[in-house]
Amino acid sequence: MFSEFLTQNLQEFWHLTGFYNATWQHLVMLVVGLFFIWLAIKKNFEPMLLVPIGFGILIGNVPFNTTAGLEIGIYEEGSVLNILYNGVSAGWYPPLIFLGIGAMTDFSALIANPKLMLIGAAAQFGIFGAYMVALLLGFAPDQAGAIAIIGGADGPTAIFLSSKLAPNLMGAIAVSAYSYMALVPVIQPPLMRLLTTKNERLIKMKPARAVSQNEKIIFPIVGLILTCFVVPSGLPLLGMLFFGNLLRECGVTNRLAKTASNALTDIVTILLGMTVGASTQASEFLTSETIRIFLLGFMAFIIASASGVIFVKLFNLVLPKSKKINPLIGNAGVSAVPMSARISNNLGLEYDPSNYLLMHAMGPNVAGVIGSAVAAGVLLGFLA
Amino acid sequence: MKKRLLTLLLVTLACVTAVSAQGRRGLRLNEVMIANDSTSVVDDFGRYSAWVELYNSTFAPLEISSVFITNDRSNNTLYPVPLGDVNTEIPARQHVLFWADGEPNKGTFHLNFTFTPGEDNYLAIYDANGLSLIDEIVVPGNLLPGQSYARKADGEGGINNPEDWEVRDGSEAKYITPSSNNIIKSTNNKVDSFAENDPHGFAMAVMAMCIVFSALLVLSICFYIISRIGASVSRSRKIKALASDDEELADHHHEQDSGEVIAAISAALAEHLDAHDRESTILTINKVRRAYSPWSSKIYNLRELPRK
Repeated sequence: MFSEFLTQNLQEFWHLTGFYNATWQHLVMLVVGLFFIWLAIKKNFEPMLLVPIGFGILIGNVPFNTTAGLEIGIYEEGSVLNILYNGVSAGWYPPLIFLGIGAMTDFSALIANPKLMLIGAAAQFGIFGAYMVALLLGFAPDQAGAIAIIGGADGPTAIFLSSKLAPNLMGAIAVSAYSYMALVPVIQPPLMRLLTTKNERLIKMKPARAVSQNEKIIFPIVGLILTCFVVPSGLPLLGMLFFGNLLRECGVTNRLAKTASNALTDIVTILLGMTVGASTQASEFLTSETIRIFLLGFMAFIIASASGVIFVKLFNLVLPKSKKINPLIGNAGVSAVPMSARISNNLGLEYDPSNYLLMHAMGPNVAGVIGSAVAAGVLLGFLA
Repeated sequence: MKKRLLTLLLVTLACVTAVSAQGRRGLRLNEVMIANDSTSVVDDFGRYSAWVELYNSTFAPLEISSVFITNDRSNNTLYPVPLGDVNTEIPARQHVLFWADGEPNKGTFHLNFTFTPGEDNYLAIYDANGLSLIDEIVVPGNLLPGQSYARKADGEGGINNPEDWEVRDGSEAKYITPSSNNIIKSTNNKVDSFAENDPHGFAMAVMAMCIVFSALLVLSICFYIISRIGASVSRSRKIKALASDDEELADHHHEQDSGEVIAAISAALAEHLDAHDRESTILTINKVRRAYSPWSSKIYNLRELPRK
């Protein structure tokens, strides 16, 4: 009798273990998670994001008996992971990240040369180009909109929009967006070389003028009012972005700005990355849709980067000779801050060691952040 | 003192605005049946009574206890929705059904009045003060038994505007929907519309890019103008303060902000002190500033010594 009792309990316990419940899909996802962690640690690709996401994938794909009611899975209501995941599913982590981005970002380059904002707008064509291709591939308009936002190269925006338009695709969209952001140094340079001539790459731009503190204070206030009057649905992201920037620039809330840009951003990044990773459960993630999303994301990145560069070339046709813009900063219109601006700078230095483009590229780069938030607001307004 | 008064005024204003925003103005009369002829819904006692559907048209839960429902123009406070019932909180964009059976002792959702079939019936809801009208409607007397009078779209339209209402007879096109949406949506209309009218996404791309461009173009123009104004103001201030004419200002500016001078000082510091940021070629000189804040002030942690 005792041995029967023992065997029965051990059998029940065995049925609860990961070894019993594991499927090949779980193992594939665990390998994907390990690959992300390897990329982050060994290759230094966006480690702040890929480590939490990679480890989150491990957490989300540890197999367990889902019918046992253990309340441990991310999709089981009331579980710890589910509570943490609320920030993603209800969409309040991304605006908090935007608060931090606003508190970290210096918009001086943009204020000094406002026409660079248009490059940030042009690069958003990547989003809508990908939207058209997604429709061609058979996605519904709301799903296409959620996938296309990957072209904005902005992780929080992608998560925010996909949580509203296509929650079931959010894991794949978020992982795709962050993966391509990490691969910006690989994707953009060949494209920039392809689309520019040697003479264009050598264009030297005038140093940006100094921007007064008053202008820096006015920027977030006017920026908020103007952009959100046009696209009120962008309010959660743009509101927090400009609020964070006002904290930074007003000069009397240094402590708040520091908290927003350091501690708060770090905390939310940890939670966001980990829960997004954990949301990629094998059953939801390993589908043909995910492969199509990754392809579309890649295409969106290419279109976005190319449209920024091409726009600068076209813009140069109407600009006086002394005010020509180096098209190498066009790629920075995607909002992968500051990675894409660094790429512009590095490529510029490659062709002329005295041509520093970083500050010029930061203009379209931060305009890209605003542009992608506006684009997300437009998609949300049209499709939600 | 003035500052305090101003702050108090602003806080009061904010509170008043917030309270007003949280009011019940989003509550709507949504559908009414004057004579329930056993083809419609039964109450929790199994009886076919007249009913009134209220709709929360806001995107937040709405607590309606102490709101007044009346069918008497001379008595705004005829039926107060009782306190203490959790069911009086209507979730966002949802409904609640009241039975007009004249038997309030049957429960929270049983009104203390009935309707008169064959006559125009007035119906209104008033806020807790009994004075602020939230919504009202006159249900036409030609309503047949089993017919309802409903808003064409849930919660939409004005107050007491018959054009927003229609008679429903339970047919395929005019279905009666107690405690349910007057328009039953199976899909997202916006998405369907885009799928039907813009299958290739071209219209979306054109519209959205125009909006993104115009938003950033307006911002760009605005900052171009602000920077010009700023430059002109700061120039005139500098002229006033430092120099009598533009030429002197240029000389002064040259002396103050020469990049070469700053570079030379930085190079000297780097050479002699080996001072630099994390990057070996960058040196940042920050002004040390300790911001005062009463939250961290030790003064407020100390008690004053008692005076004799």
